[in-house]
Amino acid sequence: MAGNIFTSALSGMNAAQVALTTTQHNISNANTPGFTRQEAMTSARPGVQFGGGFIGQGVDVVGVKRMYDQFLSTQVLQEQAQSSYLSSYHTALKQIDNLIADPAAGAAPAMRDFFSAVNGVANSPESIPARQTMLSNAQYAVNRFQAIDRRLTDIANGLTDQVTASVSQVNNYAKQIAALNGNIKRAMGSGGGQVPNDLMDQRDQLVTMLNKEVKATTLQQPDGTLNVLIGSGQTLVIDEQSMPLQVVRSALDPSKVDVAYNINNTTVVLQQSSIQGGNLGAYLTFRDQSLEPMRNELGRVALGMAMSVNQQNQSGLDLRGKLGGNIFHAATPRVEVGGFNQGTAVISATIADLGALTTSDYQLKVNGVDNYTLVRLSDNTVTNITSKLPQTIDGFTINLASGTATSGDSFLIRPTANAARDISVLTSDPSAIAAAAPMRGIAGTINPVSGALVSANTGSGTIGSGQVNMSPVTIKFSDPALPPQTYTVTDSSGAAAPVTGNYVAGNPIGYNGWTVNISGAPGANDVFNVVRNINSTTSAQMSASPAVTNVGTGTISPPSAAVTWTTPFTVTFNATAQTYTVTGAVPDVSATPIPYTPGSPIKLSYNGWTTQITGTPANGDVFNFVPNKSATGDNRNALQLAALQTTSIFSNGTTSLQAAYSQLVGNVGAKTNELAVTSEAQLNMVNESIKQQQSFSGVNLDEEAANLLRFQRAYEAAAKALQISNNMFDAVLALGR
Amino acid sequence: MRISSNTVFDSNVASMTQAQSRLLQTQQQITTGRKILTAADDPVAAARALDLSQSDAINTQFTSNRDTARHNLSLTESTLDGVTTLLQNVKTAAVTAGNGSLTVADRTSIATELSGRLQELLALANSTDGVGNYLFAGFQSRTQPFVDTPGGMGYFGDDGQRMIQVNSSRQMPSGNTGAEVFMRIKNGNGTFLTQATATNTGTGIVSAGSVTDSALLKADHSYSLTFSVGPDAPGGPDLTKYVVRDTTPPAVPPGTQVLPDPLLPPPPAPAVLGVPYVSGQAISFDGMQFDIEGVPANGDTFTVVPSTNESVFKTISDMISMLQAVPSGASVTNGLNRAMNHLDNALNNVLTVRASLGVRLNELDALQAEGDNLGLQFKQSLSLLQDVDYNKAISDLTMQQTALQAAQQTFSKVSGLSLFNYI
Repeated sequence: MAGNIFTSALSGMNAAQVALTTTQHNISNANTPGFTRQEAMTSARPGVQFGGGFIGQGVDVVGVKRMYDQFLSTQVLQEQAQSSYLSSYHTALKQIDNLIADPAAGAAPAMRDFFSAVNGVANSPESIPARQTMLSNAQYAVNRFQAIDRRLTDIANGLTDQVTASVSQVNNYAKQIAALNGNIKRAMGSGGGQVPNDLMDQRDQLVTMLNKEVKATTLQQPDGTLNVLIGSGQTLVIDEQSMPLQVVRSALDPSKVDVAYNINNTTVVLQQSSIQGGNLGAYLTFRDQSLEPMRNELGRVALGMAMSVNQQNQSGLDLRGKLGGNIFHAATPRVEVGGFNQGTAVISATIADLGALTTSDYQLKVNGVDNYTLVRLSDNTVTNITSKLPQTIDGFTINLASGTATSGDSFLIRPTANAARDISVLTSDPSAIAAAAPMRGIAGTINPVSGALVSANTGSGTIGSGQVNMSPVTIKFSDPALPPQTYTVTDSSGAAAPVTGNYVAGNPIGYNGWTVNISGAPGANDVFNVVRNINSTTSAQMSASPAVTNVGTGTISPPSAAVTWTTPFTVTFNATAQTYTVTGAVPDVSATPIPYTPGSPIKLSYNGWTTQITGTPANGDVFNFVPNKSATGDNRNALQLAALQTTSIFSNGTTSLQAAYSQLVGNVGAKTNELAVTSEAQLNMVNESIKQQQSFSGVNLDEEAANLLRFQRAYEAAAKALQISNNMFDAVLALGR
Repeated sequence: MRISSNTVFDSNVASMTQAQSRLLQTQQQITTGRKILTAADDPVAAARALDLSQSDAINTQFTSNRDTARHNLSLTESTLDGVTTLLQNVKTAAVTAGNGSLTVADRTSIATELSGRLQELLALANSTDGVGNYLFAGFQSRTQPFVDTPGGMGYFGDDGQRMIQVNSSRQMPSGNTGAEVFMRIKNGNGTFLTQATATNTGTGIVSAGSVTDSALLKADHSYSLTFSVGPDAPGGPDLTKYVVRDTTPPAVPPGTQVLPDPLLPPPPAPAVLGVPYVSGQAISFDGMQFDIEGVPANGDTFTVVPSTNESVFKTISDMISMLQAVPSGASVTNGLNRAMNHLDNALNNVLTVRASLGVRLNELDALQAEGDNLGLQFKQSLSLLQDVDYNKAISDLTMQQTALQAAQQTFSKVSGLSLFNYI
């Protein structure tokens, strides 16, 4: 009987000791990350039947359990991945947000200063200091664009490092998890199914850390191992094996890196969409969906400023009386050759129309000879090109510069990506600013050599200030079934009345300083467009193209020559016949007197110059339009330069330079704001679920203190029982004395 | 609920961090005075603020443009003030010269005075803005506009008017060209010019005349009016009659070819046939009316031609050469009348230009007031968008400070609670 008490008391002391040790373990690990509190599990030994009933035999320690809740832990993992994704994204985007909207650092004040200086030139076009200020402010604006772009590049380079670091971190965790899988498997085997709690905690902690880098899902295996999957089911850890990720240079865009994995010695690139959550997901999403689009948007503003100012400057005369040149260097679109391309094709692109230009990147896939697919990457709009390049889509022209493309090749075209980086001021000569208009009108006969007025007109006709006219022109054909087939040349600006003529294949058709040859058989209502080539560097090159909807076989030649705005022409009035004759125009129209209505304005557009004559010219009155030489005080072109500040040059004439920049600031601000709000909310969610999880698994020191006391008392009580049992034994022995 | 000891620390630290970051944000708002620190604080307002600051900057730019315009206009105006005084002096001299009692020497001295005036006028017309830009040269601001050439005063500027953007929709000419002010002045009465032929021997003095019915006017037609003095019938009294002929060659219809006529062209049809002449009585035809006073001699001819442009320089130099060369008589009176008439035209022209300058200066004042108002509005809107409301911000700051203090105090109390303190 006493022996029974002995063993029972001893088991109690044992159990209390194990419980004390577990409590002590909990207290020691109270601050260990990922530690789950443990509890010693005890159960009563089955009793021995003894006459009147079963007598207890003491207590057995059956194991040490960790207080782990799969559901709560999974929730923490998920929230954690999302939270680190949002906060990393937010942190990254904040760098840009701070940069672009800053009143001192953004590009907006620099553009404002530039245009303010242009106004200064318009106010005193002969002033060299005013012109110098304009150039200096142009340099300032260029510096701002370049600095912001450089900052974006720095951030992008930093991102590449971060992606590399993040991937090696992921690989590191994967390796440790795989190793722990092995340890746990063996421990469970040798421990007879007992769970090695602390190893499990360590592995769970590693999975938590992994989730901060990239969102991972886990599958618990019966042998205690854990399979880890990332993205859309890509295995990272299976049993004791980890499959490391790699960082590779992107095949589509060599300036970027992609995440890939190796399967059977083949490198498979993970889509950005399949790497979700965590820091890695945040870095890639930020780069592809925020940073590069912002670079494009900024580039579009820079490109818009450069090209529109250049065009306007080309349309005027500089202080030396020469046609203006380019003030800014405008970058050509960036074309990246796909890494797996087989063909020899060199694709180039040029900007054709600022109004149609988007901020998206484009992927050009080759399907065969003269067969391409162009994907606008911002919204995945697909355009099929089934005719010979060059083709103009979304405001840029794709050319096949050389070589041949092989089916399956791909090219990445980034129309505006280089613009902010490459914008520069091309001239340091203040005289090069073309403040004057290229032509001036003189109401009267002039000395052909000196240009001085010989005799003034007697009529009341006066000449408007006039301007360069480079508006798009359409040539539209009538139905060939109703001969004679005619064509109508219409100026979209309405600067002159439409000109019609009978179509003779191959005969030149001209207007406003250029001629084209149309041959073949144009169909009814076929249209040919002649527009200014905005990439020409000196005077205006026109480019001609048939409309895509044409049904006939008519082809159009490139326009004859550049339009020279300084080609003089003369308008002579015959008031009796109410006609006027124009001499010196390109193409020559002097043979045909043109009727007019006295008293109503007479619109003229010749040699790229448009103006109107109002009032009533007298018989024989002559209006001479001559190169505006030595017009140091003329500011007409400078006024137009200044007006570019508020001209809506983008989005088909709805968005000005400033509005496009504001849009960029608004977009960045809105996204940053959204991320600030969601990442804070997500952080609260994480904290809440951690609280829930900790509430179950965390160590409460008060509880442990109480447990210490409790198990101490239990130990003392069991020891007392042993003492009593000993006393009882002594009493039995004393009976014999 | 069971609370993990770490949670107590973690959540307290988290909430204190949050409170601190809010406090910092408010504090930054107060120190910078800006409600929007980055675009993320209020994306819509940030973008709007950028647009508004551009509008405000442009508005400010227009103010400085207006100052430039005002400067240029005032400069032109004060120069033209000088021109007005000068022309009035020339007129006075012309009136003096008309006095029949003047001797040749008197007239020569008037001519000398006028030569001085002419040089003065030339200097005014070639005025610069102080930095070498000619006021009246059009676009060719570095080219001297008026140069005395053998063929008379030449204008070497052009018709260009420098426009200045004075508000978003108005471009204002910041001056007037020399051609407009000094050159393009209609002679005669603006429609036609009456002149006595130099060979006239009578004392007929022709008036400038006027248009009575513009509908009857024949554009570009010239006329001659010839006097004949003689008896109607032999032995009768001498009567003075005049004949008006339209001397305009007949217009050639378009498309027809004019063959050279070996004979003399047919004399132009008389417009008014032998009308008896009464001194000072109105002579009218083809919608025009003028009179001739005095006693014309037989064969005296007067011409009526369409007005052409005559520069004020030519008017004055013609007057000078007349005073120097011609002895007194009807031709001097006719010449002086004509000169007076032209001087009036020139003066009117200058006054018209000055009036338009004045209108523009007035308009500038109106636009200035409007621009100031607009600027105020922009600044107010901008301020509403981006400036911090100090009352609110400071009250927020106090509140956040209190909250943080409370969190810190309770934290130290809560974290101090442990059972281990008692065992």
